[in-house]
Amino acid sequence: MMILVDPNNGIPVYRQLMDQIKFFVSSGVLKPGDPLPSTRSLSSQLGVNPMTISKAYSFLEREQVLERRPGRPLVVKNVDPKELETRKMEQLNESLKHPVRVVKQLNIDIKQAAQAFEDLLKPSGEPHDRN
Amino acid sequence: MIAIDFKNITCSYENKTALDSISLSIPAGQVIGLVGRNGAGKTTLIRSAMGMLRPQSGTISILGLDPVKDSVLVKQRVGYVSEEQILPPFLKVLDVMNLHKSLYPMTWDDHLARKLSSQFNLPTDQKIKTLSKGQARQVALVCAVSHRPELLILDEPAGGLDPSARREFLETSIAFLNESGSTILFSSHHMTDVERMSNRIILLHKGKKLLDRDMDDLKEENTLVIIPEIEGIDRSSIKDLPQCLSVRKRGDLYHSVFHLPVEETRQCVEDKFSLRGLQAKSMGLEELFIEVTGGQS
Repeated sequence: MMILVDPNNGIPVYRQLMDQIKFFVSSGVLKPGDPLPSTRSLSSQLGVNPMTISKAYSFLEREQVLERRPGRPLVVKNVDPKELETRKMEQLNESLKHPVRVVKQLNIDIKQAAQAFEDLLKPSGEPHDRN
Repeated sequence: MIAIDFKNITCSYENKTALDSISLSIPAGQVIGLVGRNGAGKTTLIRSAMGMLRPQSGTISILGLDPVKDSVLVKQRVGYVSEEQILPPFLKVLDVMNLHKSLYPMTWDDHLARKLSSQFNLPTDQKIKTLSKGQARQVALVCAVSHRPELLILDEPAGGLDPSARREFLETSIAFLNESGSTILFSSHHMTDVERMSNRIILLHKGKKLLDRDMDDLKEENTLVIIPEIEGIDRSSIKDLPQCLSVRKRGDLYHSVFHLPVEETRQCVEDKFSLRGLQAKSMGLEELFIEVTGGQS
């Protein structure tokens, strides 16, 4: 699992871990039933305090992203498609907060901003309108 | 259980107060990063905890014991590494370890010593004087943890090491933490190391405790906001706002730290001074350190 943390960042390390794991689950890199690395191994792999890893894992359990069963490693919890959609939209909304603030501070017209966003979403290299 | 308990500790050298009625209580299992500028009192605090100094007033309890009166008992249960620590240069690594083993006949864990040594490729058959500074410091750490202390105290353990050696030292400490889960108090000027290792920060400034907070709270609930110096705004009008921790003048701007999340800080300052579009952001530990302890200009 390609987790990276930046301790110098203003975001607490346990939050960085949670965000990345949630993203892996939503994007399908981690699938229901997939095991997570043990607290110890992730702690030594990342060079962070094991308590930080446990904190992230237990919050993710509480948020129903991960599931702990006795005597087994922590795994990704099964999620129904509707809930998965909700989570994806939450993640998108969260990451749009910053661009939204930029749009407001630069005083850009909403329609123009939306158009810019749409243009960026078009697959690159795809020919635009032929005419 | 409380691993470290300081009550109203005051310690001075000649006329200089190094610790000014410090109280702190560290429950077992926490990892504490002790930070502060040079001369803030970190080493004095650590030496008092180790019973190497006796404060003028106040009481200290380490694992329920008095570090001066019960010094032998305390040393049996505490591991200690400092920047100045010197290992005998002409002994082989293994001999140094055996020496420590003989000091802790009841508690020494050979398996742990071997495991850590091999995990970090320490050349156990070489003499100490042939080792790099980083390797020597790691030998000191392996010796300090292999009697499985309930409390590990590190005074600038990575001082003077290059970044790679520092990281290896940190990894050894984390490997130990994974093995034992014991309490750790360590002082450092390397904020990223502190951020990786500790779950609580104690910031000393001029002998006093300036901050004592959970690491995650510190990041989630402290915000730096940049305020222009315009009419009606000065140091004291900012300082008087609720939850303002520090104000520092940089050119014609004020840098101010608030003990509030980012959006609330922005809102609070903008409302108070009828401003818009202020820059506000959360900070890493290094930036926070500089903002609250740094000088004015």
